[in-house]
Amino acid sequence: MKTWCYKKLCLALITLSALFCFSQTSIATPFKNNEEALGRKLAKQAVKGSERWSTTDHKKIHALNQNFTSGEDITEACLSCHSEAATQFHKSIHWTWLASGDKSDLRYGKAGFSVNNFCISGNAMKDKGCLSCHTSWNNKGVKGEVNCLKCHNSSGFNFNEAFTDLKAFLEDDDPETKEMAKEIQQEIKQAVTSVTFPTRKNCGDCHFTGGGGDGVKHGDLDTSLTKPNRMLDVHMGIDGKNFSCTRCHTTVDHNIAGRIYTNPAVETRKSLIEDDLAPKITCVSCHSSEPHKNDSKMNDHTDVVSCQACHIPKFARVNPTKMWWDWSKAGKLKEGKPYVEKGPFGKPVYKSIKGEFKWEKNVIPEYFWFNGSLTSTTADDIIDPEQIVKVSHPVGDRTDPEARIFPFKMHRGKQPYDKVHKKLLAPLLSGKHGFWTTFDMNNAIEIGNKTLGLPYSGEFDYVETTYAFPITHMVAPKENALSCKECHIRQNSRLAAITSLYLPGRDKSGLMDTIGWFSVFGALAGVLLHGLGRFFTRNGKEN
Amino acid sequence: MFKKSMVVLISLIFTIVSFSVVFSSEGPAGNDRKGKYTYRKVYKACAETGEIESATPKLSPADKTMEQWKTIFEAKTFEEFGCKDNWAAISDSDILDIYSYFYHHASDSPTPATCK
Repeated sequence: MKTWCYKKLCLALITLSALFCFSQTSIATPFKNNEEALGRKLAKQAVKGSERWSTTDHKKIHALNQNFTSGEDITEACLSCHSEAATQFHKSIHWTWLASGDKSDLRYGKAGFSVNNFCISGNAMKDKGCLSCHTSWNNKGVKGEVNCLKCHNSSGFNFNEAFTDLKAFLEDDDPETKEMAKEIQQEIKQAVTSVTFPTRKNCGDCHFTGGGGDGVKHGDLDTSLTKPNRMLDVHMGIDGKNFSCTRCHTTVDHNIAGRIYTNPAVETRKSLIEDDLAPKITCVSCHSSEPHKNDSKMNDHTDVVSCQACHIPKFARVNPTKMWWDWSKAGKLKEGKPYVEKGPFGKPVYKSIKGEFKWEKNVIPEYFWFNGSLTSTTADDIIDPEQIVKVSHPVGDRTDPEARIFPFKMHRGKQPYDKVHKKLLAPLLSGKHGFWTTFDMNNAIEIGNKTLGLPYSGEFDYVETTYAFPITHMVAPKENALSCKECHIRQNSRLAAITSLYLPGRDKSGLMDTIGWFSVFGALAGVLLHGLGRFFTRNGKEN
Repeated sequence: MFKKSMVVLISLIFTIVSFSVVFSSEGPAGNDRKGKYTYRKVYKACAETGEIESATPKLSPADKTMEQWKTIFEAKTFEEFGCKDNWAAISDSDILDIYSYFYHHASDSPTPATCK
């Protein structure tokens, strides 16, 4: 009888322990079944039949089958059918480089007072070096004609170079160069008909190499995304969904969605179920706000944590990205000549024309509350040079219902500021009078600030600055998403800097812990007492 | 006599310095624009024979400095370029044009070649 009792008691304890452990595991891990997550189901539906199709073969268009002698001629041919394209495009930020539709409002934009801590300023399109990325022919900026082929040609052909060479050869008397001119004209004719919707390469030619080179600026945008695999980006992977940029950056009248500081993401953070014409610019648009499987604890995170925070564990996973740029070191010469020093990843760590750099690969993002807007410090804003100046910084906090914890690349550096006016400065870099030719920073600032119509006292120094880039590309496959322990851990939590909320596992509260343990042991004691009570009140009855 | 010698000496120094400055800064006197297309044609022809897969030349002027290109073209050591037979068939004037293209668009030249 005693052995029987002992056995039963042990069995009851084991069962209780197992039940206790199982209930804990079921809370911590996603519910495992074969049912597809809602977010995945909806996304598949949203992109069903995404193959683009066209009713036009541009090779057969008469206007394009001619011997072009300039880029402007090509634009004229395009506009002979697409009559409103240039008018629409002239109003877009890709043309004006100004955030506001009002051309006299210079506050934000590359062609306005906006600065960054890379090449600093676009100097109102007076810096010809920047204009290679403007969508006009021959670096003429807004004074030129729209170069439609910049976004709508897949040939990879260098039209600007071809037209310059063609002109030179046609003016030459050498019969051999005349022959070469004919060949160039033939090549132009062939290339011009490769008309396309914008490809990743079209967008990437500028957006992958912004700031002066591959991966310099964004961290989540570089040439590795021209032909990525799905391990690098599940949406753009050529072995995955093979999305082009415009699959998410939807376009109306040549205005491309995605410029978040003028069009905050929260405004479009709605599912296609709510509005099937909403731009597919956010994850929620296709995946909904409950993207994980039913009963998954992860669905409880989506009102606080952005999708990107877990699904982009690291950025710059293939190519390195620039993390530090110190302009105060620029201008050193060796034997009177500018020089370059290379460091890790084969990337330059010093350039006389630009200063000192640091590069990193597989970078863990920094996390901030972000409601879809960024604050900018322009060349017309007063700064405190005793502090690190936040040239661009996310907006949002715990109390903002639209804010989520979001990953960022923080680019740090030193750049010139006016010691008297306490404002950031906009030196002119390229060209005959630019810093890259003269190595005279004071003169470059004087000319550069003049292009913006901003005063310069003549006294400058360097101030440390930060520039925040939201990380939203390079979405990893779900199996590579962050595990709970990356954040919910006492030491080295990824969210160590997010102190405005209680994070279980990371944070410790005596009161919370006491209540928790009291509940656990109370429940255990209750179950045990109940079981034992039942056991001892049976009076030896077997059934 | 002393005055005359000084004038001759100064003139001589001036001439030598002027020549060296002119020649060192100008580099080869071929047609660099023509050289660029001749260079590309070499690889197009080479790709047609099947010796190389892509007609895109593997070396760009910005891959080396002016001094390095000078050494290669003066010694006529074109092994690094591949397509040996095609290089052997290029005339001296075409080689000069290609040399001009590489020299004037070398990495340390005032106008280094870029992909744009």
